[in-house]
Amino acid sequence: MSNAPHILVIDDEPQIQRAIRTILTEKGFKVTTASRGEEGLTLAAVNEPDLVILDLGLPDMDGVEVCTRLREWTQCPIIILSVRDSEHDKVAALDKGADDYLTKPFGIEELLARVRVALRHSMNAQGTQSKVVKAGLLTIDLAWHIVKRGDEEIKLTGTEYKLLSYIASNHRRVLTHQSILIHVWGPADADHTEYLRVYMRQLRKKLEADPERPQIILTEPGIGYRFIADE
Amino acid sequence: MNRIAMQSPSFIYHIRQYLFAFAVIAAITAIFFALREVLDITLVALLYLIPLGVITAFWGLGLGITSALLSFLLLNYFFIKPYYTLAVHRPTDIVILAVFFIVAVVISQLVGRMQAGLAAATAREREATQLYQLSTVLVGLHDDRSIAQILAVQVQAVSQGECVELSIKGTHPFTFRLPEMDAPARAAELIVPIQAARGVLGEIKLWKTESAISLAEKRLFQTFASQGALALERGWLVEAESRAKVLEESDHLKSILLSSVSHELRTPLSTIKAAASSLRGHEVSWDSPARSELIAAIDEEADHLNMLVGNLLDMSRIESGALKPKREWNILSEIVGSVLVRMRHLVEAHQLEVDVPDSLPLVPVDYVQMEQVFTNLVSNSVKYAPEKTVVRVRAFVEGESIHVLVGNQGPQVPQEHLDRIFDKFYRVTAADRVTGTGLGLSICKGIIEAHGGRIWAENVHDGLVFNFIVPLMWEGMPPQQLPIDTEIE
Repeated sequence: MSNAPHILVIDDEPQIQRAIRTILTEKGFKVTTASRGEEGLTLAAVNEPDLVILDLGLPDMDGVEVCTRLREWTQCPIIILSVRDSEHDKVAALDKGADDYLTKPFGIEELLARVRVALRHSMNAQGTQSKVVKAGLLTIDLAWHIVKRGDEEIKLTGTEYKLLSYIASNHRRVLTHQSILIHVWGPADADHTEYLRVYMRQLRKKLEADPERPQIILTEPGIGYRFIADE
Repeated sequence: MNRIAMQSPSFIYHIRQYLFAFAVIAAITAIFFALREVLDITLVALLYLIPLGVITAFWGLGLGITSALLSFLLLNYFFIKPYYTLAVHRPTDIVILAVFFIVAVVISQLVGRMQAGLAAATAREREATQLYQLSTVLVGLHDDRSIAQILAVQVQAVSQGECVELSIKGTHPFTFRLPEMDAPARAAELIVPIQAARGVLGEIKLWKTESAISLAEKRLFQTFASQGALALERGWLVEAESRAKVLEESDHLKSILLSSVSHELRTPLSTIKAAASSLRGHEVSWDSPARSELIAAIDEEADHLNMLVGNLLDMSRIESGALKPKREWNILSEIVGSVLVRMRHLVEAHQLEVDVPDSLPLVPVDYVQMEQVFTNLVSNSVKYAPEKTVVRVRAFVEGESIHVLVGNQGPQVPQEHLDRIFDKFYRVTAADRVTGTGLGLSICKGIIEAHGGRIWAENVHDGLVFNFIVPLMWEGMPPQQLPIDTEIE
């Protein structure tokens, strides 16, 4: 198993380290742990892991800072761990380049799912970027600007398409309100969450089987949105 | 007669007094002059005393003496031979004149003194009345600011001064000035310290130009100051007492919290411990259905523990005022939808009826906190209402607010408990019959109030309804108009 994916876990709580290491090792990953930010950064530089799991509450430095420093030289996926009610920190870390987050306490199923999505992306990124995103019956051709459900083409307005193409092409990441607003409407409208709410509702009505129970575009309360693509 | 008006010094007023007094004397003199041949000189002298007494009684000692002197001269000039001179020839006339002068002055003196005594008595009565008024007003007041204000108003009313300034020391020192302008540049004419048992609490400064401040006024202001000191001290005592009460109450609440929390935390912990240890001890065979049952119990109870801890955190945040909604324009139906999806297992024993149209206007709320409100209200509804009954969630616009109803067909709550169910740890039912920290509804209340809204419960014919309203305006504004979008051809 020399080419098993390498995961670096940066968390200062030994119990969490132990639980994550046990489960991930069991699942065939190679796991390295660090309990401090500086140690984590050094290990990341030495080992070049395929994925970093990073706790935001570290004793020596802010997790957001670790995130920023990792992004200076590596694009490896970062999943952040954080307690409830720290939406502000999560948003900051996501805006600084983290890909996904998990709120403590979390289920292992959830962790494994996030790890799989993130790793698949990093493997893909080494090859060619897929120009077609599929989610259930939905097919989004990012090159030809065509959105289909089954064989039926779905008409979208200009803004709707811009929005959909941005979240679909970043489907393995959680996108914050701000980052979507800046990419779709521009920096001047970065605070107009209401645009996002209204357009997301329109999109869901056109794309989701049941707009009240969305399966493709999920709301991350207080954070942003997540596009669930087929694996 | 209005003594206060008479005391106000005015030059013209004095002139008029003198003219009037002299007119009276002139008139009397004219009458006596006409009857000069009939009346005896002694009788004339006697009759002159009457207007003198009257003048002194009405206008005071000074005018009385002046009038007496004038009458003396007139008597001599017109009625004592030789007429029209001030010379006197007959010794009896000299005696009459002397006696007249002495009697006139004595009468003026006596009447004048009586008047002065009356004036002093009236002034004292006025002081007493003002003091009485001040103390009655001060009795009901407990905060420094209103006490200072009343004190300043009273001092200003009594002194008619140019400016009155009250400065109060203490933890929040402040200054109150009447009228509300800059104090005159010069030093105050009168400074009275507000002295209490604890030391000097502040001072009263008075600027008064028109006339020097009288001793009586000084005395009065000192009494005012000591009344003020008493009121301030009383205010401080009341405040200290209420603080002590709050502390006592929060202490009491903390002990309730501890007992409630330790009970609530221990229940899921016991389950987890029992399940985990039996799994670990190989007492349950690997393939038995009991095994997955135990694992499910651990998972569920861990979630329950997480929720309890979350509630506690929320509550402490609400208590310390740290719960600040991160408001954004949100779609209410989306929030309700995501809550109900997440709670689907909890509500599956009940019938859900949701009427939250997505045509409702956007609401300026904190998404996560609003989710919490719906979660708590719905879970409270399903907890108390019997299975298979209807749980309704409804929302509509009402004026400039959005009105949300979460109703259930559970037992009604006695009228007197309706307000109190939003209090911490308040339960209508005995604590051991229903699980929970007793914090859910008070968290809802904290969140809704932080959003500038209101929450209440009411009994309806078939159960209980939770209501809340939150304003649709955010900083007085509706949501921004969306930018125009075009259809792809």
